[in-house]
Amino acid sequence: MAKRKKNDGIRVGILGGGRWGQALARLAKAAGNEPFIAYRDVKPPQMLKSTKNPPEVAESCDLLLVATSASETRRAIQLAQPGPSNRIVVAGRGLEPSSGKWLGQVVEEECDAVRIGALAGPAPVEEILNGGLCAGVVASPFQEVRELVIKALHSSRYRVYESQDLTGVQLAGAFVPVLATGLGLSAGLRGSGVGMKAMVLARGLEEAGRLSRALGGDSSTLAGLAGVGDLVAVHGAAGSPYFDAGVQLAQGRREAGPSHIAKALVERAKARGVELPITEGLVAIWDGTDPLTAVGELMSRAAQMEHR
Amino acid sequence: MNDTGLYDPAPRAVVIHDLVDRSRRRLDGMPDGALTPVLEDALYQERKRLADHGGSHEEHILLDDLARTLVRGDRYLRIEAALRLVAHWADEVHGHFDNRMYRFSTHLLPRAVNGLLAGRPKRMRDIRGGWDRRLRVEGDTSLLQQLSREATLILAPTHVSNLDSPLIGLALYQAGLPPFVYGAGLNLFKNPVMGFFMSRLGAYTVDRTKRASLYKEVLKDYSVRSLTTRHHSLFFPGGTRSRSGEIESNLKKGLLGTGITAWQEMLAAKRKDSEVYVVPLTLSFQLTLEADTLATDHLAEAGKQRFIITDDEFAKPKEVLAFGRRVLDLEASCIAHFGEPLDCLGNPVSKDSAVRRDQAEHRRNYVCDRDGNVIVDAQRDRVYTDRLATALAQAYPRGSYVMETHLVAWVAWRCLTRQIGSDDPFRVIRVPRLGRIVRDNDFHSTLRAAMDELAALAEKGSCQLAIPNDPDRVLATALDRFGRYHRTRAVAREGRDLIVEDPKLALYYRNRLAWASLEA
Repeated sequence: MAKRKKNDGIRVGILGGGRWGQALARLAKAAGNEPFIAYRDVKPPQMLKSTKNPPEVAESCDLLLVATSASETRRAIQLAQPGPSNRIVVAGRGLEPSSGKWLGQVVEEECDAVRIGALAGPAPVEEILNGGLCAGVVASPFQEVRELVIKALHSSRYRVYESQDLTGVQLAGAFVPVLATGLGLSAGLRGSGVGMKAMVLARGLEEAGRLSRALGGDSSTLAGLAGVGDLVAVHGAAGSPYFDAGVQLAQGRREAGPSHIAKALVERAKARGVELPITEGLVAIWDGTDPLTAVGELMSRAAQMEHR
Repeated sequence: MNDTGLYDPAPRAVVIHDLVDRSRRRLDGMPDGALTPVLEDALYQERKRLADHGGSHEEHILLDDLARTLVRGDRYLRIEAALRLVAHWADEVHGHFDNRMYRFSTHLLPRAVNGLLAGRPKRMRDIRGGWDRRLRVEGDTSLLQQLSREATLILAPTHVSNLDSPLIGLALYQAGLPPFVYGAGLNLFKNPVMGFFMSRLGAYTVDRTKRASLYKEVLKDYSVRSLTTRHHSLFFPGGTRSRSGEIESNLKKGLLGTGITAWQEMLAAKRKDSEVYVVPLTLSFQLTLEADTLATDHLAEAGKQRFIITDDEFAKPKEVLAFGRRVLDLEASCIAHFGEPLDCLGNPVSKDSAVRRDQAEHRRNYVCDRDGNVIVDAQRDRVYTDRLATALAQAYPRGSYVMETHLVAWVAWRCLTRQIGSDDPFRVIRVPRLGRIVRDNDFHSTLRAAMDELAALAEKGSCQLAIPNDPDRVLATALDRFGRYHRTRAVAREGRDLIVEDPKLALYYRNRLAWASLEA
């Protein structure tokens, strides 16, 4: 078990000293625990215990929350060198850009820890740092991992729900950026309105659910905090990079956005014979198809059952 | 374990007392809300079993006793009544391993099994030797010998036939490994001669008609006890013989999970020999004795498959002898491949003893706290066992040998389903004889393509090949093998072409390659 402080709190290791890492540290503190941040290439977090030596965090904390971007997860684990006694929970969204792998899989490849989980859900960082209320979901096949995260973060400021559906939660974390881009595209396209947004949202979640089932996940996870919850937060937040990338895509600017995630999802889906029309449409736009043409093709598909 | 690598079993009373004690601790730890359903389940399942299969007077008395306490007794009386039932089961489960019998049998049995393989009593020379020719043993046996001295082994074989057990016994003997404890169905003990030998050679009794969770826990306790007393054990993780012919992919985790429990018990006792390693064993046969029955059972209407089959070819001594004479006598007709040993979490175990010691130190951290105390967590252990089962299921194809009969059946089935335009087995088996003719050209081109794919898979280490790189020889050998034993052939010549004579058998043998997902 994690080291106990006198007041029964635990020491929570956080890999990544950026805004999200700091927000998690504040939540851990609010839950009566002692956060310990490993940071690199950023200013040392203020008023929070931190180190530039990641193995120190892995050594002294049983629970490690990985709060880096998806592209930095592998490096963070390589630096921290966690061992079999560590429980590692990835708190980042998406898939590794270079390999298209789940972040949990990346962690498993880089260390001997097997008790792994994922924390997902709305993450309005500035709101959390300013004391706003929020909730997340932790998924892991290991009950002890789920319980540790609840112990680490659950408080009157942040509610933690638990799930055994690690696949579904990771998939939701990968789909949210893609669907948020789709919503941005709907907002930016000439002649489109709330109807198209609603369609992208509902049908996007439906196709995500199909893939989740094919991968052994539970499609109802998409209706929870990791899916709809996160999507609402991303869509509603001012200056969301994914939503903005969608708006830019509608205007023909294809540089930004989570194209690597969308392509990796399409690849996974093809391998299992699952159709992802909206995601495939977005990939086509990134690959050069005119947005109006892509939307036109989507709209001219044959009618079918709502749930397949 | 004594210095000969054999074990010294504890007196029967000690074993039973220990098993009852384990059940007592478990039942004592249950709140009333959990205890009562477990006891009610035991009563219901056992009464149902007695109604269906009959039972002894003593069993009726024990169940009546349990029923009375469930109605009128307090918690203490209920647990005591349940423990009397547990003691009865424990007595039934415990074998009678006998060192003297083992020594005698290690001289006699290989010759007897070899006699079965040789099949022709007049060839005494063959009976005395030559088993290494008929049963090929592959894998790093010297590493396994070393591991058997320093740790406790769990052998986890694939399960094809009832002949697996004697052949595994022979393979263990050939590999220079000590005897393994294994669970054998109560029905196999009904034969007094078989029962006498089996119980004295390390078999304990498993009654698969007993469905109560309380009974299953006794079996698991027995397994944990065997492992912690350094008895190497053998489980068939597939649970029963593969009905479809496929290599097992969905493994049962009940007995497999006892490895991690035993390991933790030994860690908690600070034992130096606490490691438990799991060795995958893949058995590959050209033909299967019970293929007809198993294939028919596989295609039985969903839900009507039999978990326990007592009237198959194995129950007919003449069939077994005929099979031995016609099939097992052939060179390398069966291959036993010992895979890379795994720890109880499914991680590979190093061949280097120094690295192995480091691995063992490191591995403790998966179940111990920072002070080195074992933390008991059944849920965590179930996830670890899932990982082990996944690692085993991945190891089986790597140790499987592609044989002529499997490949020819696969190709013939592929050509046939292409012709029919459906791979629904129920549709294929209803096709009349004339519709099951496969053109020689089509067959040969598909066979070549499949052989190329399999060669690429073998190159990557995904499987092993036991076939020549010559399609004509592959086909000729398979047709010869198919004609040797089964009443109808899976595939046969029909003029210049081929015919799927028995689609059920063809499906059974082609399924051995289902794991490969060939595209040919």
